[in-house]
Amino acid sequence: MLNITNLHSSIEGKKILKGIDLKVNAGEIHAIMGPNGSGKSTLASVLAGKAEYEVTEGEAFLDGKNLLEMAPEERAREGLFLAFQYPVEIPGVSNINFLKTALTEIRAHRGLPELTSKEFLKLLKDKQELVELKSSLVNRSLNEGFSGGEKKRNEILQLAMLDPKLAILDETDSGLDIDALRIVASGVNKLRTENNAFVIITHYQRLLDYIIPDFVHILYDGRIIKSGTKELALELEEKGYDWITQHETGTV
Amino acid sequence: MKQGLYNNFYRYLIDSFDKKQAALTYIESVNLTAKRNEAFSIFKEMGFPTRKYEEWKFTSLSAALKDELQLMIEHDHSLINTNRIHSLDAVHLVLVNGRFAPELSDALPEGITFYDTQATLAESRFADKISTLATEDDAPMLALNTAFFTEVSVLQIAAHAIVEKPVHVSHVFTVNDIAEFVPYRMLVIAEKHSEATIIETFHSDSLVHPLFVSYVCEQEVHESAVLHTHMINTLPENAYFVQHREVFQYRNSVLNNSNIALSDVTLLRNDLNFQLKDVGTETNLIGAYILTGDQHVDNHTLVDHQSPNCNTNEVYKGILLDTSHAVFNGKVFVRPDAQKTNAFQQNNNLLLSDQATVNSKPQLEIFADDVKCSHGSTIGQINEDALFYLQTRGIGEEAAKKLIMQSFIFDVILRIKIESLQDYVSDLLNKKLNTENLTVV
Ligand SMILES: Nc1ncnc2c1ncn2[C@@H]1O[C@H](COP(=O)(O)OP(=O)(O)OP(=O)(O)O)[C@@H](O)[C@H]1O
Ligand SMILES: [Mg+2]
Repeated sequence: MLNITNLHSSIEGKKILKGIDLKVNAGEIHAIMGPNGSGKSTLASVLAGKAEYEVTEGEAFLDGKNLLEMAPEERAREGLFLAFQYPVEIPGVSNINFLKTALTEIRAHRGLPELTSKEFLKLLKDKQELVELKSSLVNRSLNEGFSGGEKKRNEILQLAMLDPKLAILDETDSGLDIDALRIVASGVNKLRTENNAFVIITHYQRLLDYIIPDFVHILYDGRIIKSGTKELALELEEKGYDWITQHETGTV
Repeated sequence: MKQGLYNNFYRYLIDSFDKKQAALTYIESVNLTAKRNEAFSIFKEMGFPTRKYEEWKFTSLSAALKDELQLMIEHDHSLINTNRIHSLDAVHLVLVNGRFAPELSDALPEGITFYDTQATLAESRFADKISTLATEDDAPMLALNTAFFTEVSVLQIAAHAIVEKPVHVSHVFTVNDIAEFVPYRMLVIAEKHSEATIIETFHSDSLVHPLFVSYVCEQEVHESAVLHTHMINTLPENAYFVQHREVFQYRNSVLNNSNIALSDVTLLRNDLNFQLKDVGTETNLIGAYILTGDQHVDNHTLVDHQSPNCNTNEVYKGILLDTSHAVFNGKVFVRPDAQKTNAFQQNNNLLLSDQATVNSKPQLEIFADDVKCSHGSTIGQINEDALFYLQTRGIGEEAAKKLIMQSFIFDVILRIKIESLQDYVSDLLNKKLNTENLTVV
């Protein structure tokens, strides 16, 4: 589904991604871990199409389509979703109108008709229950004045509404208390099918207790220096990054 | 030293004053004639304002003051779009080129009375009030209006009257085949303990020849009266509109005003002055503008806190595209007596073109010590992070930008409490945002 080869990216002349290779198949869950500043959010932003990041080398395909040639909105319509580490507050744009506009665009791209207000509200209600987000928040301005946890849950609500092929969750677990974490994880598990895939960026094993990854990758200084199965995350939690960086860079 | 503009139109006006006055001798009171003469000499001396005048620093009228302008003489009422807002349940009063058109207007409900020009001039309590609230010194455009206005009407809300239904004063201007100048005015008196809503729209169908409107509105809001006022400009290109509004607020009165310019008007200048004459008043001012092409909108507001315990809240927001120009000058004076004043003022702009200009000047002058005042002025671009966020949800760049612009202005429109009016203004907003040539770089 997602095929990244030798991806290099820089911002303001500073090299951040230094050759990423990653292959994600339908039905899989991949976790990406790595220390602060290693390039995890950069990878997510480059895939989502943030203009500031220059791609200097490499390729990224989603189901055979060249992501890097598309505008951000086209990537979204093709089925890419990014749950932001820091969701943006947009005063005045009502959460519900925004969701309706986004869903209409994405459905149109898939050749589906616009939902009637009734159908839309029904869908929204179902998905809201999935992430246990209060209706009052749905009626407010987009993310404005939301708590950290509410913002993250709102990201998952959008994910649920837009039903992407590939969802990248950038530290969706940070700032969540254990109850919220369980809600988010169970939401993701319910949304999971054999036709979609998830890339979960996290610092903590905690989330991976609830969402069991098929693969774990360690991103360090712009490269994936180690990949493994879920045991790698446990090992990392136990031994820390030093263990792995000494180990890996020592052998280069 | 003379700093005004003394062009052909100026000379035409100067030459026509005596003749015009001669025809009015038997209609007007001696008082009014005296005021006109005085105003005329001020205008004659000062000329049209130029950018050398402090209050006109950023607004030039020279392109508006065409040589071929003439005073409007003919008032043709036929074939007119009265700009009725169909979804709005309101009493419709139509003024065509400033003159009351009874055949196009609804009957007024109890508690509110309308006086046309003849009736106004016949009642000395009204006629003598003209130009006592707004005074002409140093204000040549106001003086011009006082000297030359032909139509004047009065809206009076009776003491203790609660007028539930809004009154929609629809100012419409006819499309004529010469360039015309229309000076007229209105007086609004909200008596003690009354409450009413006055929605004023300013409209003309598309214009081939320039239309220059000079409108003066004087308002008294008496003790404990509540007056909701709305000004909605839907004038087209080629319209030049200059308004002076002077409002006196008395003890515990409330005045709300919304000032909406989402039209294609070529030039709009508002001088909105609020004098807080007695304690405990509340003044809420909102404004919204989106300017395209080479539109020019200049809002000057002055809230003059002359008494203690008065509250002002002002929010103006605007978006500038193309080569447009917006001016916001918001003065708040807090006089020595005006202790416990609360005054909050804000002007936010989105400047979306390299060639557009904003001059935003909040001007707080505080002479009392126990007050709470704040003001803020921002000029920004579309937030890139917000734009990206919307795009990552499948919303196209253009649509996302419009959504951000819409939300920026909607924040103000949201404060219009009459739902159908809010919808009407939202439609104007969406129409403006969906004009074909609207592109954002
Ligand atoms: N807009 C930017 N301008 C300049 N440098 C940037 C920008 N965005 C990211 N960087 C730099 O790129 C590097 C990688 O940042 P990134 O946000 O991708 O890290 P991360 O792995 O997501 O870290 P964290 O775990 O703290 O979220 C950092 O050194 C960061 O300072
Ligand atoms: Mg990050």
